[in-house]
Amino acid sequence: MKISKFFLLCLSFIFLFFISKNVNAQSVSLSLSPPLIETVIKPGKSILIAYTLINYADPVILNTKVLPFEPKNNFGQIKIKEKLEGPIRFSLDNANFNLGQNFFLKTNDREQLLLRIRAPEGTPEGDYYYTLLAETQPINTQAEKINSFAKATIGSNILITVTESGKIDIKPKITIFDVLPRWRFGFFGKKVNFFDSNDLIPVVLMVENKGKNLIKPEGRIILKGNFGEKAKFDILPQNVLSQSQRLLSATPTAELDCSSKSKFKACQSPVSLYISGFFLGFYQLSTTLIFGENSPQISASTSFFAFPIKIFIGLIVVLIIAAFIIKRLTREE
Amino acid sequence: MFFLKIILLIIIISLSFFIQSVSAVNMQSPLFKIQYGEIGIAGGNKNSSNYYLSDTVGQTAAGQFNSTGYIVKAGFQYLHSIIPFRFSISNTNIDFGTLIANTPQTATTILTVSFGAAGQYQVTAIEEGKLRTIDGANNIPDTQCDGGSNTCNESLAKPWTSNNAYGFGYNISGNDIPADFIDNTYFRPFPDRAENEQPAVVMSSPNVGKNRQATMTFKVNISPVQPAGKYQTIINFVATPSF
Repeated sequence: MKISKFFLLCLSFIFLFFISKNVNAQSVSLSLSPPLIETVIKPGKSILIAYTLINYADPVILNTKVLPFEPKNNFGQIKIKEKLEGPIRFSLDNANFNLGQNFFLKTNDREQLLLRIRAPEGTPEGDYYYTLLAETQPINTQAEKINSFAKATIGSNILITVTESGKIDIKPKITIFDVLPRWRFGFFGKKVNFFDSNDLIPVVLMVENKGKNLIKPEGRIILKGNFGEKAKFDILPQNVLSQSQRLLSATPTAELDCSSKSKFKACQSPVSLYISGFFLGFYQLSTTLIFGENSPQISASTSFFAFPIKIFIGLIVVLIIAAFIIKRLTREE
Repeated sequence: MFFLKIILLIIIISLSFFIQSVSAVNMQSPLFKIQYGEIGIAGGNKNSSNYYLSDTVGQTAAGQFNSTGYIVKAGFQYLHSIIPFRFSISNTNIDFGTLIANTPQTATTILTVSFGAAGQYQVTAIEEGKLRTIDGANNIPDTQCDGGSNTCNESLAKPWTSNNAYGFGYNISGNDIPADFIDNTYFRPFPDRAENEQPAVVMSSPNVGKNRQATMTFKVNISPVQPAGKYQTIINFVATPSF
C-alpha cells in the first residue's frame, strides 16, 4: 500500500513537472523558403509561388500577410511599411486559409503557402518590392497568465518588375570606389593613401541605381602591384533596387577582428572587401561592372602605397635600445 | 638511427605547420562562395533552365518573357544556400513575476538566426504599445536609463544601473548585435508602434552564418508610486533576409 502511494506521488510529481514546463517556456522556431523571389511580369499576368513554412518548435498559431518594403540604408537592410500599397495583388491559393487568417502548425510540421501574385492590366511599368511575413499569434493561455510576451515574424522578400516589353531600365553609377586607409595625405590636390605592409586593405564599392528597375552588377575588383603581381576578387551579384545605392560585396575576402579595434576606420562601417597579404610599394585597384548583355559597362579605380612602417619603427626602437646598452656596458668597462 | 627518426619527425611536424600557415592566407573566404543555381522550390510553371536575368537581360530572358509573360527566380542564385533562413526565440514569455518598487526585475530570451545568403539579414524589435494595465489606465514608461549624460533612446544604449531610474527596456549580448551595447549594463527602450516609431535593428550581419545567437534581457523597474495592476505588452521580433 505504502509503495503504491509513493509510486503515485512520484508519478504526480513527474506529470506536474512536465506540465508546468510546457506552460512556462513557449519557444518559436520558424523557417521560410525560398528567402527571395525575383520576378519580371507583364501587366495582366499572374504567377503562383510555393513557399514552405516549417515549425521546428512548440505548436503555434500563425498568420500571413504581405507588406511593401523599401531599402533602409546602403547595406541591404529593409524598412517594412505598415500597410499594403501599390497595384500588385496578393492572395493565397491554399484551400483552408487566406492571407490574414490564422492557421495552426504542429511541432516539426510544415505548411506550403501558395502565394498568387497578380499584376492587373494597366499596372504602371516599374519595380514593386514586398515581403511575405508569417507571424506567430499569442495563445490564449499565454495572454492570460503572462505579463508580456514576444511575437516572432519571419519574412521572405519579393522583387517584382512590371514591364510590357521585357526591357529593363539600366542606369548604374559607381558612387564610391576607394580604400579606407590608415593614413591619407593631400599631395598636389590628390589624395594619397598609405597602409602599413601588414594591414588588411579595406575596399569600399558603392553602386547607385538611377533607373526604374533593379539591377544586379557583376564583375571583378583587380589589384595590381608594382612588381607585376595581380589578384582578382569576384563581385557578388546582389540586387541594387531602383533609385537606391548599395554597398557591394566581393570574394574571397579576409576577416577583420574588430573586437579590439573599434576606432579603426574599417570597423566603423561595412566594407566590400578586405585584402590580406604583405604589401610593399605602389598598388592600383580597379573594378569593372556589367549588368547583363548589351548593358553599359562602368569602371573605377583607386590606388595606395604600403610600407613596412611598423617593422621600421620596431627596428629603430631595437637599435636605440641596443645602442643604449652597448654605451652603458662600455662605460662600466 | 634513433636521432635520424627524431629529426625526420621534427621535419614532418614543421612542414605540416608551415603548410597550414600558407593555406590559411589563401583560404580566407569564409563568407561567400560563388556558385550557380540554388533555385528554390518556387511553384508554378517556371520552365526553362536558362533564366539568368542579370546575366541575360538580352535575348534569352526576353524570349522567355515574350512566350510566358513572366520570369521567376527563387533564392540567392550566387550562393549554395545549404543554410535555410530560420529564426528562433527560446522563450516567448516575458515574465517578470511580481514587481517591487526600486527593485529591477529582468527576464531573458535567446534569439537565434541561421542565414545562408550574402547581403544582410536583420532582426528588428518593436513594442506594440507601452507596458500598461489591461484597462489602459496606467503604464510603465520606456526607460531613459540613468539619465543625464547616460540618457538612452531607441537607437542608443546607455548604462542603466540606478535603482531610482524607472522604466522598461532591453539589453542584448552575443552575435551580430548593435555596437552600442558595450556590456550588460547598457540598455535601450523599445520603439513604440503606438507612437509611430520605427522598429530597431537588434541583430544584423552581412555574413553567412548558422545559429547566430543573441541573448536579450528585458528589464523593468517601477517607482513606489506606480499603481498596482497587471501590466502587459507585446514585443514583436521580425526576421528578414536580404534582397
